[in-house]
Amino acid sequence: MAHLLCTALWLALCGTPAWAHKVMIFAWVEGDTVYTQSKFSGGKRAKHSSVVVYDEEGNRLLEGKTDKQGEFSFKVPKKTGLKIVLKASMGHMAEWKISAEEITAVAPVSESRSTREVGTEVAAEQAAPAIDTKTSKELTAPTGVGLSRQEVKALIDESLDRKLAPILNMLADSLDRGPRVSEVLGGIGYIFGLVGVALYFSNRRRKG
Amino acid sequence: MHISEGVLSPSVLMAGAALTTAGVAVGLKGLDHEKIPSIGILSAAFFVASLVHVPIGPSSVHLILNGLIGLILGWKAFPAILVGLALQALLFQFGGITSLGVNTLNMALPAVICYNLFGWGVRIGTRQLVFTVTAFACGFCAVLISGVLVGFSLYLTGEAFLAAAKLVVAAHFPVMLIEGGLTAACALFLRRVKPELLEGEYAAKTSSWP
Repeated sequence: MAHLLCTALWLALCGTPAWAHKVMIFAWVEGDTVYTQSKFSGGKRAKHSSVVVYDEEGNRLLEGKTDKQGEFSFKVPKKTGLKIVLKASMGHMAEWKISAEEITAVAPVSESRSTREVGTEVAAEQAAPAIDTKTSKELTAPTGVGLSRQEVKALIDESLDRKLAPILNMLADSLDRGPRVSEVLGGIGYIFGLVGVALYFSNRRRKG
Repeated sequence: MHISEGVLSPSVLMAGAALTTAGVAVGLKGLDHEKIPSIGILSAAFFVASLVHVPIGPSSVHLILNGLIGLILGWKAFPAILVGLALQALLFQFGGITSLGVNTLNMALPAVICYNLFGWGVRIGTRQLVFTVTAFACGFCAVLISGVLVGFSLYLTGEAFLAAAKLVVAAHFPVMLIEGGLTAACALFLRRVKPELLEGEYAAKTSSWP
């Protein structure tokens, strides 16, 4: 019992909200890195929970643990749709899917961005077929100024990621919303309705 | 307490659903129409109780109330908790539809067990002290057994039983105390205000395990 109490105390002190109702994971892509944020309902971060990443076929790609902020990030292992599964303690689980279109850069390719060789550019193109042909044609124009298409793209991606970061954080926060009054009242209404139906049938049975 | 969707293996889910179906059948068998409103009211109380967060330290816990439900309803706790959990899963996304069977079993079975363990004490005839202590024990143990059952469900899917159960039980320790107190307070209040609600079930009950 003393041991149990110690565990309870430890749980209370480190604030693991293991008794929350559900967990959520939110993931987004910035360049070649995927960032994830995990939370329990009520806004508590899911600390030290394991995160497993699968590809579209369900093969396990990598695994990690969230830090104290409930965050976990990893380099995109390959160009495919990703399924990120969060496993918190006590049977809580959540997942988030990232489609292949969202992933524009794969970790090793992004390193070759700086080189100006045509060969690597082609390789990068092949690795990232998600780029719309129309936009890439428009982007070919400034090559005369001295910047390669890839460099312009990298610059745009970078600044977009920076500009969008607060919005993504806001989105992650807004995903966590507790039950609303309308839902609570609706649930109570359902129960009273069921009581009414049950009484109706039991009365009919008594009369019949 | 609410196990999410996709955590347990299909066989555990199936077994939970089958046992819950059996429990609900027992609960609904020979249902007296006078009992229906009290099932509804306790179901609504269960549904809302999970929203009552009790801040303890830096975190918060929520009520389950299965001890109180078991005390008043006996086997009819199964249908009451099933309805409450189904609505929680649909409206709040607590737990899930596929894990509904297991979750209902984990919360309703302790209610029935505690009803049979401590029900004898919670009568109008018993002394106030015995009455209070048994009511407290009923609320306390219902949550405790629920925690052990959740740990057991996770163990059947591959987690280490002792670690899982210990974590669940330790996390719910404050809830157990609060539930025990709340159940005792409710039972004492009912004894004064509406004693037939407590007595009706015991008058009908001679052999409780069918």
